[in-house]
Amino acid sequence: MANHTPTPPAWADRLLTWLCPPHLLEELLGDLHEQFAEQVIDVGEQKARQLYVVEVVKFIRPYFLKRRVGHFAQPVTSPVSQGAHRYKTNEFPQPFFLHPDMLRNYVKIALRTLWRSKGYASINVVGLAVAFCISLFLFLIAYLQLTFDSFHEDGDRIFQTYFFSNDPEQASRSAGMPLPLMPALKTDYPEIEAAARFIVVRKSLVEYKGHYFDKNVYLTDPDFFKLFSFPLRKGNPESALRDLSNVVISENMAQTLFGTEDPMGKPVELGSDGNRKQYIVSGVLADAPYNSTIHYDALIRVENLPDYQSAKDNWGANSHQVFVKLPPNIDQITFESRLKAFAVKYFHGSLDDLKKKGAKPDERGDVFAVRLQKLADVHFGREISGGKGAPIALIYVLMGIAFFILLIACINFINLSVARSFTRAKEVGIRKSLGALKKQLFVQIWGESTVICLIGFGVGLLLSYLLLPVFNATFNSKLTLDYIAQPGFIGLMLLVFALITFVAGGYPAWQMAKFNPVEVLKGKISLKRPGILRNSLIVTQFTLSCLLTCCTIIALQQVDFLRQQPLGFQKEQVISIPVGSQVNGRQVLQRLRNKLASDPTVLAITGSGVNLGKGKDRVTARGVLGITYKGNDIATDWLLVDYDYLKTLNIKLLAGRDFDRAYPTDSVNRVVITESMAKMMGEANAVGTLLRDDHDTSGVKSQIIGVISDFHLYSLADENKPITMHLSHNEAIHYVFVRVAPQNLASSMDKLKNVWKEVAPQSEFMGSFLDENVDAWYQDEEMLSRVFSLAASIAILLSCIGLFAIALMVIEQRTKEIGIRKVLGASTPTIILVLSKDFIKLVIIALGIAIPLAWFGMHTWLKGYPYRIEISAWVFVVVALAAILITFATVSFHSIKAALMNPVKSLRSE
Amino acid sequence: MGRSYLGEFEELVLLAVAVLQGDAYGVVIAAELKQRTNRISSLSGVHIALYRLEEKGFVRSELGGATMTRGGRRKRLFTVTAAGRQTLNEMRTVRNDLWNFIPTPSLT
Repeated sequence: MANHTPTPPAWADRLLTWLCPPHLLEELLGDLHEQFAEQVIDVGEQKARQLYVVEVVKFIRPYFLKRRVGHFAQPVTSPVSQGAHRYKTNEFPQPFFLHPDMLRNYVKIALRTLWRSKGYASINVVGLAVAFCISLFLFLIAYLQLTFDSFHEDGDRIFQTYFFSNDPEQASRSAGMPLPLMPALKTDYPEIEAAARFIVVRKSLVEYKGHYFDKNVYLTDPDFFKLFSFPLRKGNPESALRDLSNVVISENMAQTLFGTEDPMGKPVELGSDGNRKQYIVSGVLADAPYNSTIHYDALIRVENLPDYQSAKDNWGANSHQVFVKLPPNIDQITFESRLKAFAVKYFHGSLDDLKKKGAKPDERGDVFAVRLQKLADVHFGREISGGKGAPIALIYVLMGIAFFILLIACINFINLSVARSFTRAKEVGIRKSLGALKKQLFVQIWGESTVICLIGFGVGLLLSYLLLPVFNATFNSKLTLDYIAQPGFIGLMLLVFALITFVAGGYPAWQMAKFNPVEVLKGKISLKRPGILRNSLIVTQFTLSCLLTCCTIIALQQVDFLRQQPLGFQKEQVISIPVGSQVNGRQVLQRLRNKLASDPTVLAITGSGVNLGKGKDRVTARGVLGITYKGNDIATDWLLVDYDYLKTLNIKLLAGRDFDRAYPTDSVNRVVITESMAKMMGEANAVGTLLRDDHDTSGVKSQIIGVISDFHLYSLADENKPITMHLSHNEAIHYVFVRVAPQNLASSMDKLKNVWKEVAPQSEFMGSFLDENVDAWYQDEEMLSRVFSLAASIAILLSCIGLFAIALMVIEQRTKEIGIRKVLGASTPTIILVLSKDFIKLVIIALGIAIPLAWFGMHTWLKGYPYRIEISAWVFVVVALAAILITFATVSFHSIKAALMNPVKSLRSE
Repeated sequence: MGRSYLGEFEELVLLAVAVLQGDAYGVVIAAELKQRTNRISSLSGVHIALYRLEEKGFVRSELGGATMTRGGRRKRLFTVTAAGRQTLNEMRTVRNDLWNFIPTPSLT
């Protein structure tokens, strides 16, 4: 106890400090501590502490709380205290700064000031509301995308398998798995908790009591229910897919098929014409939420795949996704390293091939490996899932834009508050000279801005509620405000709101609270020298607006360029119809040809394995064949066509001939190639030569019968490859193309729809014009440029609102200067120029920053396109001129008014 | 001229200040009162009395020195003013007079 000095409870001291008038605090605390020290000796520390608290509590009485310095008589000057500690008789102690009376006063003053400066308040509210609303939408999109598949329990333990192969040219990843892989995985690695194959088939036909429906029927394994957390509304997850004839349907499908009936145990027919089978409903699964990668209408067992028996041991046919769930104690890396043995065991063929081609192991020592992709990443894994899913960069761009817009709104808010603070300086000065503390003033002014923010936020929410349908329609999104109620999103919004109120409201409040009352009351503070902060904020604002504008224009140009680019075929007047898997494409094509043979409005009909553009079925497929021809490595699109392909699509024949029914051998080992293919082969006269692979010794060779001009089979955003077309009577035709006469395209479509019902009654007609399909290729770019344009226009609008208000205030403060200038003989244009000059300068600086940034950003973006525009300088010139013009127009609205004012008026006031 | 009212506790405190002769401040006064009157008075009570006396002009105060036990805080030292002394004298006179008028009981 030697070095322990007893101290009274600190909290009691704090309590007293908080409540006691400051000028009495020292002596009272001193007395209390002295008494405490004595009592420690008399009665012990513990008891003394108790007594101390009792004493402090006794001090809490109105006599002390309300006591003012002036109640003392004039202090006596004694030698001890001479000059040092006199009391000013007029000095009042500060009332507790959150005292109810003060709060009431703040609210009253805030409402009065807001009411008096309605223009200022409404500009702020409108600006904030618009910014809140737009960024809410953008954040919602981003939030939905980023939380894709996050609703599964144990989501961090669910993985999709993919093949990694370190090809000599470029490492490749693919999520297509062979059928025997999943069972082999489960046998070799019993620690896997659950594993299921997932085969995504085209729309499938469903029949119930003579009614036909097109539904997404997926093939999977019973582990599906152990793997994912889609809740099973009816049925037992253990047995729902026990039998091969079980089908589990979604709530939505149960509704369409059975209405209010209980679907359990009801028979349903699924499948295409030749392969129909009866299934028994054994479960009803909740509909998958919007942010789920997996969207099903019905689930059946994988074994129901038509060619399952022949494919179930085929390690070479990669057709589907496999999901596995690891136990909690095994992490991804550990398991991936265990899978090395698996790759060696089952894929030694691929391994050897790769090594022969010169593939080297990557940094993890793998040439070919089975690896895992986190479920959370599946949605963004465009490379692995073959181009499906959202590009994550786009989401970051969206979030960036949302922040930009909020930033611009904040800058407006700060600038307006700072500018206005000069007009309110007198109030602050008087409050200070009456004894208001800095922190009281801060709370008061900051409170006012928080009120504005709150109103802006409320109006923004209302606005987003009203505009949501419009937004969804424009951007083809399915946002609902329900997502706002999710805790993560609420947290995000609160954070944003808190940041805005603290930064945008706090900074000006702090500035104002710092005013020196003497200078203010003398009238010394004015806006003669505009703050460097205000200027840099305006520059930031305009930089962001100009940046967005430049990017928008360039993105739009690029999309336009992609659309305008000649594709090598004529996309107008051609209707493309996806055949669907329920019917035999070849038969349908034949029936269609027979039906329409005599129709004068139908010019040509053909079929193909691959669609042109993105049709209503949204399916894209690509078959690429790699061959080595006379030492050249060539990758070519291997395209199945039917007779009249060239005629239907108006593709130019350069040499040789098209496929012809007159030559029966055309359907075997005859090909038509494109110009670039001929060039790659190095054959000047390709017609008649044999297309063969140097390594292929089987003797199957294709003879080239024709050379055609190049055309784009895939989007210009993808790389174009040379094309080799072949004709076959066995391979399935998935698309039918019909060229119709240019007159009355709509009625041709209707006619085709009716004919389709006769030739393929089970298949839904999903015909669309090729030019629509081609446009659909660019929907990502389209969406991006639309978001850009919306963001850019709002950014410009908000910046202008801010500039407008600031110009108004600046000019108000400079009225006298303008009056003097006029009296001294300045002309109206001179005055307008003088007033606008400052702002134009700022905009020019902003342009100087924005243009290189925009150029760099868009240059990088464009690099991703094999076909792209050159960024032309006129874009920047136009944006610069427009920005200066808009600024001038915004500012001169007030300048003209000020310049035309009678100087007598402004000068008389003093 | 109305006379200033002086409460019983205030009178005691004022007397204590007079007794302590320029060394009077909160804790000491409370201790003095405890010793002399054998009653425990709270610090806050003593302070209220002192401030009231000061408002009435019976005492005046100045800030004095600090000690370690006070955590380095200064004390407010009180001294009786002329008015205070006069009031005390008057009260004493009044009381003495009254005492004198109490009939002396017969000792026989």
